[in-house]
Amino acid sequence: MKQEDLLYAKTHEWVAVAKEGGTQIATVGISAFAVEALTDLVFIELPAVGKQVEAEQPFCEVESVKAVSDIYAPVDGEVVAVNSALPDTLETLSSDPYGAGWIAKIKVTNDANLAKLLDHAAYQKQCEE
Amino acid sequence: MPYHYNTPEDKQAMLSAIGAESVDVLFDSIPAELKLGRRLDLPPALSELELDQHLRELASRNTPAGEAVCFLGAGSYDHFIPAVVDTIGSRSEFYTSYTPYQAEASQGNLQVMFEYQSLITELTGLDVSNASLYDGASAAAEAVLMAISATGRHGKVIVPESLHPEYRATIATYLENLATEVVTIPTSGGVVDPEILSEAVDEETAAVVLQQPNFFGCVEDAAEVNRITKKAGALLIAVFDPMSLGVLKRPGDYGANIAVAEGHTLGSPMAYGGPYLGIMACEKSLVRRMPGRIAGQTVDRRGNTCFVLTMQTREQHIRREKATSNVCTNQGLFALRATVYLAQLGPQGLRETASLCLQKSRYAAEQLCQHERFSLAFEEPTFKEFVIRDRENRVDDLLKSALDRGYLAGLPLGRWYPELADCFLVAVTEKRTKAEIDGLVSTLTKASERVSVPATV
Amino acid sequence: MRNSRDTQLLCELSRPGRRAARLPACDVPERDIADLLPTEATASSPPALPEVTEPQIVRHFVNLSTMNMSVDTHFYPLGSCTMKYNPKRNERAAAMPGFADLHPCQPEETIQGMLALLYEMQEYFQEISGLPACSLQPAAGAHGELTALLVAAAYFKDLGENRSKVLVPDNAHGTNPASAAMAGYRSITVKTTSDGFVDMADLASKLDDEVAVMMITNPSTLGLFEPHMREIADQVHARGGLIYLDGANMNAILGITRPGDWGADMQHYNPHKTFSGPHGGGGPGAGPICVIEKLAPYLPTPIVRKEDSLYALDFNLPKTIGRVRSFFGNVGVLVRAYAYIRTHGPDGLREVSENAVLNANYLLSRVKHILPVPQGNRCMHEFVASANTLKKDKGITAMDIAKRLLDYGFHAPTVYFPLTVPEAMMCEPTESESKETLDAFAEVLFRITEEDAELLHDAPHSTAVSRPDEVRAARQPVLTWAALSEAN
Repeated sequence: MKQEDLLYAKTHEWVAVAKEGGTQIATVGISAFAVEALTDLVFIELPAVGKQVEAEQPFCEVESVKAVSDIYAPVDGEVVAVNSALPDTLETLSSDPYGAGWIAKIKVTNDANLAKLLDHAAYQKQCEE
Repeated sequence: MPYHYNTPEDKQAMLSAIGAESVDVLFDSIPAELKLGRRLDLPPALSELELDQHLRELASRNTPAGEAVCFLGAGSYDHFIPAVVDTIGSRSEFYTSYTPYQAEASQGNLQVMFEYQSLITELTGLDVSNASLYDGASAAAEAVLMAISATGRHGKVIVPESLHPEYRATIATYLENLATEVVTIPTSGGVVDPEILSEAVDEETAAVVLQQPNFFGCVEDAAEVNRITKKAGALLIAVFDPMSLGVLKRPGDYGANIAVAEGHTLGSPMAYGGPYLGIMACEKSLVRRMPGRIAGQTVDRRGNTCFVLTMQTREQHIRREKATSNVCTNQGLFALRATVYLAQLGPQGLRETASLCLQKSRYAAEQLCQHERFSLAFEEPTFKEFVIRDRENRVDDLLKSALDRGYLAGLPLGRWYPELADCFLVAVTEKRTKAEIDGLVSTLTKASERVSVPATV
Repeated sequence: MRNSRDTQLLCELSRPGRRAARLPACDVPERDIADLLPTEATASSPPALPEVTEPQIVRHFVNLSTMNMSVDTHFYPLGSCTMKYNPKRNERAAAMPGFADLHPCQPEETIQGMLALLYEMQEYFQEISGLPACSLQPAAGAHGELTALLVAAAYFKDLGENRSKVLVPDNAHGTNPASAAMAGYRSITVKTTSDGFVDMADLASKLDDEVAVMMITNPSTLGLFEPHMREIADQVHARGGLIYLDGANMNAILGITRPGDWGADMQHYNPHKTFSGPHGGGGPGAGPICVIEKLAPYLPTPIVRKEDSLYALDFNLPKTIGRVRSFFGNVGVLVRAYAYIRTHGPDGLREVSENAVLNANYLLSRVKHILPVPQGNRCMHEFVASANTLKKDKGITAMDIAKRLLDYGFHAPTVYFPLTVPEAMMCEPTESESKETLDAFAEVLFRITEEDAELLHDAPHSTAVSRPDEVRAARQPVLTWAALSEAN
């Protein structure tokens, strides 16, 4: 996925929304900026498939040696898939954050929060500040 | 004072460097109205000689094991401590250091933690161990919290009455303000009744806590308890006696997911109940929910193998309110002593110690039960402790008269088990000789003769 | 050193057939184990412990010990941990058979000396804190926090009040919010100001009738006495809440001021810090708590009582929270603390705090010219310097300095705590250090800040091990010998 085409949360998650049948599926990951800031990630605790998530609430965690960071859901919905290869290949979070480094797919039940997300240019600006 | 350096000249020099007129000024940030304004009401200072004399006088008002023959158990035992344990345990570099926050200045402690963890996993047959918790009871409570978090089941935990009453009380206290209920199941035959357990366990059950050998000294059918527990999808928490593993199956071998123990018996004194050593080991899949410090092996910048504290994101100093536990200080010195003790014993030493406990305790039970006044309260096989029923139901008098003859003969059970008010718990370690056991038997028997005069009350 | 034969792992030293322990022959008629225990419960062989000799054990562990820094060998200014001298007379006391060889279930008439000592400790702790009731049961400071919060919860339950929150300042030890969560409370963070004090406006915005307890460390983790202490206590009390004092820093105020006199309702002690119990490479500690009268009925049991000249254990507190561990408490640590208090007496304890505060202020006066101390010119028993400027200017971090100090024979201060100070270096010299040592430390610190950044990034240079790869340790955990052979 091209990072220019993605939406971003202020909390550094990226989101790609696709229509599958009648439902919207949001693929979620964390930005290259966030991965770099977190430094030396050592563990990710993926959410359970089927978990109901709420926009702007933590739904999964990444850990570096001496810090734990929450990853926030960008939309309301249900986790329908997780990148189960990720815990054993954490390096993909930095090598391919917008592709193989995806974290979870969420079936969107309420897309109201999508409007609050930033486009690439706005997110870049936030990171520069 | 013996431990300060500052001479009046030092103080003057230091104060002028600080720019303060007096030491009192340094406390100016404390509002005057909050200051004590008087001396603490404490006894005056003692010289080392006076202190020593005073402490010896206090100690002389106690009757330690050694002055009386100790048959007390119930989670604290009079096992032998080899000299080498004291020698290593009193090395300044071990006992006056702290948690290895700077790995380079603490490789000794870190390697000891790694060796300790390795020995505990070998002992328990489980994958991982932490670097110690406070004691057996609080370790059991922590294991319950772990099981609730791992299973996501907040409904209940099951504790049989054959689990140490103080462990049950500790678990109940820890869970008092959480959603999970502690369900106690009766063990009237001295061990868990599979039918009662099956009734009690359900899909809301996070864990069953099984003590093996149990509080009464009886050997439980751990495999059956495990089968029932797992069928309901709950976790099995084993509370074990480290010494018993010289002859009994290891918790991991009968299916325990988490194993905890009181580890003071591995080279640390009874010390009136503490400090002790909380042992905890678990399956690999549970390690991120485990409380306490964990040491791991890695390499340094030069490529040398070395040790560090690891998986610290579980802990309170990083995860704060979301931590697996609030534990910070642990029992490092006793983990060291346990490590030395287990190395000293080796596999054969552990087996022989366990075997001596087993043989001697069974001999003691048999000898006592030859007398018509005494019988075993339970028919189940026992390891190093057993419950004796006094058919005359005068346990307190009996134990008192034994004490007068120099025997700490046993622990009355009525305080915890009203239905066992006529019973007492006897523990026999490898330290008890045949002569001491025979002495106990003859004392209790004689006491029996003395009080067997018909009571007129 | 690390790879010398002497510090191999025990499992590497093991050879089949070696042994260190010989046990007595069985002197009772011996029976086949199969006759005594059900075969399904027994193990066919004992656990595979290492097989080594006693000389091997001694050489192994003594060599390992030499790879540690300790209070007896080095200046150890690890802030918040009060690494003071551990008197040897205390060790002798705790090892006396009359204390060490007591079983916790012995009849009271056989432990009158022990109970007398413990009774006196309850009294001393109450007097020093200004709080009238005491439980010696908790096993460590964090355990004391949990116990006290459970006591508070039982109290509120008894009152029929439903309170769900515990307030914790953002510079508190991590144990505070973790204990609150374990006790079933929601931990709410209260901000501190750039001066390091509780932000009174933020407190006001968070203080409501849901608040059960405010936990406060005073002197704070920044080594400062909270100027609004009385006001904070009054405000919390006005809303029906309780004040918990984290007693980690009691070493600064012994005999000078008492938590009970400023409105604390509960507090724990760390006898292994304040009263010189050795830290044992991680423990044991102890965590006795003192509380106000109205909380006394909820304390864990037993409590030691004195009637006439006899001492007894009181299990009869109908409203007790129960117990938080087995048996009485970490008695061995309390015996040492008793010896320490009796050695000092009231004036001596005050001198402990005076010298601890004098030493800390002296070190501060020397360090502040080398590294900024954001929270000012004065401190209590410890202070927090910051390497933030040095990091910006030269790329030298608090960690670099900490590691380099080891090369000069000093243990490092606590680094990166509290979280509110960037590149924090928390120094607590304690009273049992000399001016010469503090001077030497300050001089070395200055020298280090003048050193080449590259040299510091690779420090320490003189230790057997340097900069362990913590990322690797966490990503591929190797936690046992067994995992080691799997990894290879």
